[in-house]
Amino acid sequence: MPRLRWPFLRKPAASAGQPESGLKRAHFNEWRLPFWLLAPQLFILLLFFFIPSIRALVQAFQLTDPFGAMTQWVGFQNFERLFRSSVYWTSVQVTLVFTLAQNVLTLSVALLLAFATNHIARGRGAYRTVLLLPYAIAPAIAGIMLAFLFNPRVGPIAQMLQSAGFDWDPNRNSMHALALIVMAASWKHICYNYIFLVAALLSVPHSILESAYLDGAGPIQRFLRISLPMIAPTLFFLVVINFVYGLFETFAIVDATTRGGPAGSTSILVYKVYQDGFVTLDLGSSAAQSVVLMALALLLTFAQFRFVERRVNYSV
Amino acid sequence: MRPLYRALACAGALVLTGMGPARAATEIEFWHAMSGALGERVDELVKKFNDSQKDYVVKAIPKGTYDEVLNGTIAAYRAKRQPEIVQSNERSFLTMVNSGAIVPTADLMAEQNRKLDPSTYIAPVVSYYTINGKLQAMPFNSSTPILFYNRDHFKAAGFDKPGATWQELEPQLNAIKDKGISKCAMVLPGDYEWSFLENYSAVNDIPYATKRNGMDGLDTSFVFNKGKLVGQVERMKRLIGSGVMQIAGQGVIPVQLFTSGECSTIIASTATHAAVVAAAKFDWNAAELPYEQGVTPRNSVIGGAALWTLKGHTPEKYKAVAAFYDFLAQTDTQVWWHQATGYVPVTVPAYEAAKAQGYYDKNPTRAIAVVQLMRGTPTDNSLGFRIGNSNQINVAIMEEVSAAFLGRKPVQQALDDAVSRGNESLRRYEQLNAGKK
Repeated sequence: MPRLRWPFLRKPAASAGQPESGLKRAHFNEWRLPFWLLAPQLFILLLFFFIPSIRALVQAFQLTDPFGAMTQWVGFQNFERLFRSSVYWTSVQVTLVFTLAQNVLTLSVALLLAFATNHIARGRGAYRTVLLLPYAIAPAIAGIMLAFLFNPRVGPIAQMLQSAGFDWDPNRNSMHALALIVMAASWKHICYNYIFLVAALLSVPHSILESAYLDGAGPIQRFLRISLPMIAPTLFFLVVINFVYGLFETFAIVDATTRGGPAGSTSILVYKVYQDGFVTLDLGSSAAQSVVLMALALLLTFAQFRFVERRVNYSV
Repeated sequence: MRPLYRALACAGALVLTGMGPARAATEIEFWHAMSGALGERVDELVKKFNDSQKDYVVKAIPKGTYDEVLNGTIAAYRAKRQPEIVQSNERSFLTMVNSGAIVPTADLMAEQNRKLDPSTYIAPVVSYYTINGKLQAMPFNSSTPILFYNRDHFKAAGFDKPGATWQELEPQLNAIKDKGISKCAMVLPGDYEWSFLENYSAVNDIPYATKRNGMDGLDTSFVFNKGKLVGQVERMKRLIGSGVMQIAGQGVIPVQLFTSGECSTIIASTATHAAVVAAAKFDWNAAELPYEQGVTPRNSVIGGAALWTLKGHTPEKYKAVAAFYDFLAQTDTQVWWHQATGYVPVTVPAYEAAKAQGYYDKNPTRAIAVVQLMRGTPTDNSLGFRIGNSNQINVAIMEEVSAAFLGRKPVQQALDDAVSRGNESLRRYEQLNAGKK
């Protein structure tokens, strides 16, 4: 049996005085225990992240038939083709507009609702439950529901819009289709933002709010001048999370709501990876696209650690 | 605790004895893409086969849409867990043939000493699935698009039936809308690339791609960006723009808009019969595909799917597969399948038998597809399509053409872009499959 030494039994290390952040190497002077503690998680990562990533990386430089009978190394041909293709750049634009719009809509609505929660006297529990429900609904179901509600031929909401004189038709109008997936994606994600914002707003010290009240500040002024700056760290965090969500997790919603159409006008990058890989069986291009997305994800993670984590104190 | 263990042990023993006698029958798996009413027909078909003999059991497993079945098959094949039989649609022909994963049907039947005479098959069907003189897949559900129409709407507009040419049909559709009979005179089908473009070029005898639409080699290129086909897309755009033709959109199946009585016409696969018969509560009828004025209409081309036999199984299993195919080719089976589903019978004797029964006198619309497929001698433009990477190309063409519908591009430019994107995919397919036919 290896002799275990528990971290809390050890006397402080030589570096005492500096703030301790997390576990340090010195806490374990024997490798087996940490290895076995980490192994399950590492195994899952290996299986679902590292192996697929490496395969995608390899495939991005190959031309292959779907069944894998023939494979040719083609160097950067897949990437060249990708960056030359106007369809891909359209998809980049669509993704940019989509993630930005989704972020702004989600955050502002969630903020409004969180603000309202604090000012509701009766039925707060019911109000919260209703708001949290969309999070429990599977993205595919949410997408199909919205696609149906807004279907210009049979959807009740679409018919309301049309009878109000608005020529709503996401099948023929790219902007309408884009608006539809922004709505669907935001609707699904507002509750996530809402939970964080309610918690953050609750932790704003009452003493400050009270003194502002005594100084004659109204609820909106108090919210804008005091609460909002104090929850800024949470807002930062949510912006990053919303970007990640918009970029990588909205595939199911797009698939169920518009299938990237009409004419590719809602084909965001992550949807295109799926469509090119699994519908059209263009594995090389799909792999190249996922490598580009992987680089983007790394960049975002880096930005989060470098700029957000450092300046923001999460212990609000 | 002890009684519980004992109970478990007993249960285990029961299970074991229940499993005791090994099944003598050879079981094979058949992955398919038929859902709804058609899925039930497949189950009936398989049951008929299983009940007809004792040696083999076919297990029909629905695996989603054609795309999903193909994807599932690819994943299974790479993991060496592929089924014996898989249903794959007509556009995946080259993908399947060149996959290195299949046993040609002709070889399979020859090895198992089963007779399969291609000359008894309907010409456009057998020619589609034959390469180098060898039938590659077992024709299963073959269809072709026809025009379904709401007779009540046509009568109300003062027409007896739809015109045979587009020049006659278009004013009729406009009239139906203008007279307020229906807000949707025609609904755009989801597979319009097949029914409005490919079949249009076959029926009107214009080239879609060089080398007889790819039949003569992988070095084929698309040429549909000129002549009549540009006019066809212009017409579609015009009809959509004026609201005469509606796009169903996500969440709604186009056929449902026809069967619900909302849309007056739809150009759809003859297999739509199953849905129309089940759901349409109005006086409906069907007609042949409209064509251009002054043209002698040629045969249309098939759609639907065929059954592919996958490599990597024991001879026992292949014996079962051959027996199943043999059963499928029987005239009785074909006649039943044709009448139960709306698909065309794939053999001529089956068509003759249905005719002799007086089936077409009672159900005249069921003959339309067969007659349309068999009319005249196929020309170079109506033999069929042999296009590599066709899933990719299909998506690209639909994307470009719908950009024209949306007014994002002029029709000519959209078709030029579709051709160049399509050709790029064709060249890539040629690069990968260099030396193959």
